Amino acid sequence: MTVVVAVVVLVVMTATYLTWLASRLDRLASRVDAARSGLVVQLLARAEAAQTLARRYELSELATAAESARAGHTALLADAARPSVAARSSDAARSSDAAPQPADAAPSAGAGLDSAAEDAENALSRALRSSAVVAVGRETPEAVAALDAAAARVALARQFHNDAVGDVRSLAGRRIVRVLHLAGRRPLPAYFEIDDALPVRGDGPPHPEGEAAVFGT
Amino acid sequence: MKIGLACPYTWDVPGGVQAHVRDLAESLLEAGHEVSVITPVDDESALPPYAVDAGRAVPVPYNGSVARLLMGPVSAARVRRWLREHDFDVLHAHEPTAPSISLLACMLADGPLVATFHTSNPRSRMLTAAQVALQPSFEKLRARIAVSEAARRTLVEHLGTGAILIPNGVAVRAFEGARPLPGYGGSGDGNGDSATGAGAGAPTVVFLGRIDEPRKGLDVLMAAFPMLVERVPDARLLVAGPGDTAAVRARIDRSLVDRVDLIGLVPEADKPAVFASGSVYCAPNTGQESFGIVLLEAMAAGTPVMASDIDAFRRVLDDGRAGRLFGVGEPAELAAGLADLLRDPAERARLVERGRSVVMSYDWRVVTQRIVSVYEMVSGDRPVSVAATDES
Repeated sequence: MTVVVAVVVLVVMTATYLTWLASRLDRLASRVDAARSGLVVQLLARAEAAQTLARRYELSELATAAESARAGHTALLADAARPSVAARSSDAARSSDAAPQPADAAPSAGAGLDSAAEDAENALSRALRSSAVVAVGRETPEAVAALDAAAARVALARQFHNDAVGDVRSLAGRRIVRVLHLAGRRPLPAYFEIDDALPVRGDGPPHPEGEAAVFGT
Repeated sequence: MKIGLACPYTWDVPGGVQAHVRDLAESLLEAGHEVSVITPVDDESALPPYAVDAGRAVPVPYNGSVARLLMGPVSAARVRRWLREHDFDVLHAHEPTAPSISLLACMLADGPLVATFHTSNPRSRMLTAAQVALQPSFEKLRARIAVSEAARRTLVEHLGTGAILIPNGVAVRAFEGARPLPGYGGSGDGNGDSATGAGAGAPTVVFLGRIDEPRKGLDVLMAAFPMLVERVPDARLLVAGPGDTAAVRARIDRSLVDRVDLIGLVPEADKPAVFASGSVYCAPNTGQESFGIVLLEAMAAGTPVMASDIDAFRRVLDDGRAGRLFGVGEPAELAAGLADLLRDPAERARLVERGRSVVMSYDWRVVTQRIVSVYEMVSGDRPVSVAATDES
């Protein structure tokens, strides 16, 4: 009798623990989704601010870079808006003895934040630091203020995104999670690595948002 | 926005984290946000109207000093009720590494969570050991803020996570336009009637800090003072801060003793006047400081700064452009630098001007704006709720 009780208690405890792990993974997946949508929104804002500046000061190199960065975002936004089915499928079913759920066919939100997007954003970052843009910033600091603010927010959003990705990867990398497929078939989210250092404006005191340059991990 | 702030340490015990939470809360209120703070407190009547009592805290040795921490079923019930009653757009926990009301709030809440990390040098073993226990709560944090580069590095090294950097704020308004103490001249930076040389003002160097704490460097300044007097015969020294004033006085050369005013501990409200009483503010610290807030306060009061060349000071002084730097623990270099500054009103005015523009980026109004923009970036989908799984 006591053996039966002990076994039952053990099974219940194990099931509770695994359910808890699975719910943490679900919560992390939705945090990554939210962070990724946030990042896409900020990238789009930066590209648009760059376009505005390029148009106003006829900076053709910047215009090209901004356009190609922006072109990717329409698709990204559509992706990000689609709720990730994986994140919503949280229920206790995925406990110890349940088979891993057939994962949703839909790609995870914002899957388009790939290396092509990174290249386009890097090109935009470089264009933002080009001598033509720096010259505009030196002559009319207020003209680049909105752009600098948008660039600083990109750096923030990217940090939030990459921290979320790091948390997922750390939990999903645990042996018990891998062996029991607690994360379902969700692909591991990828870090988004771009050079988002802000341009230096003049020799005055740092821009209030200027520390963004050291945000990267 | 509706913002909930969780403060880990007892509200009515002085401390940097408590001061940060208070200034942030008041600055947010002023910007038109709804704010509620939950904090442990000893005397409930000490709480401002925007704060809620989380109960009495138990003193526990933590990180080299005595922290007053709080975790238990009563506090948990209060935190849950606080969360339910307010429906916050964002919950901002301060220093959730300690077992405190902040960590409790992170454990019990779900939704848009933000945390600020203040400590720059915790006992690493303690933090690393706690990492496993902290992980589930930290996973919920959508944004992590460090107040200094040192605090950020601590997070990266011991908790394996990044953070954005938003410095402590300075209540610039409390220091702006400060008047000197009676009998002092001030910096002569444009306060009009208090220009150096006019009226009561002999060239005065100000020190503010614990006078018997070697890392604050008063000894370096005392060693530099006789050399300064050789070059600037009417120079004076104003020393403010707690400690054994008689012991300091006993070590001063008899011929100089009446040029040094030791005024002891000054109330917080008099700090602006102390800075404004000096032609130069001197920070001769020899130990590592994580952040030079006292330098910013002096600059906000319109007093030029001469500080030792340590990382935090160099950063705040914009590599020496917004204030003079001298070699750490070098009295001769300090004396020469002070003499130059005391004899050069134009240079002082230039430093004051630079200082003002540096200070503006640390003003609480600006810092709060940056924090609000973090809130905006992580919130919006749904309000903060009580976590469904918190009983596990």
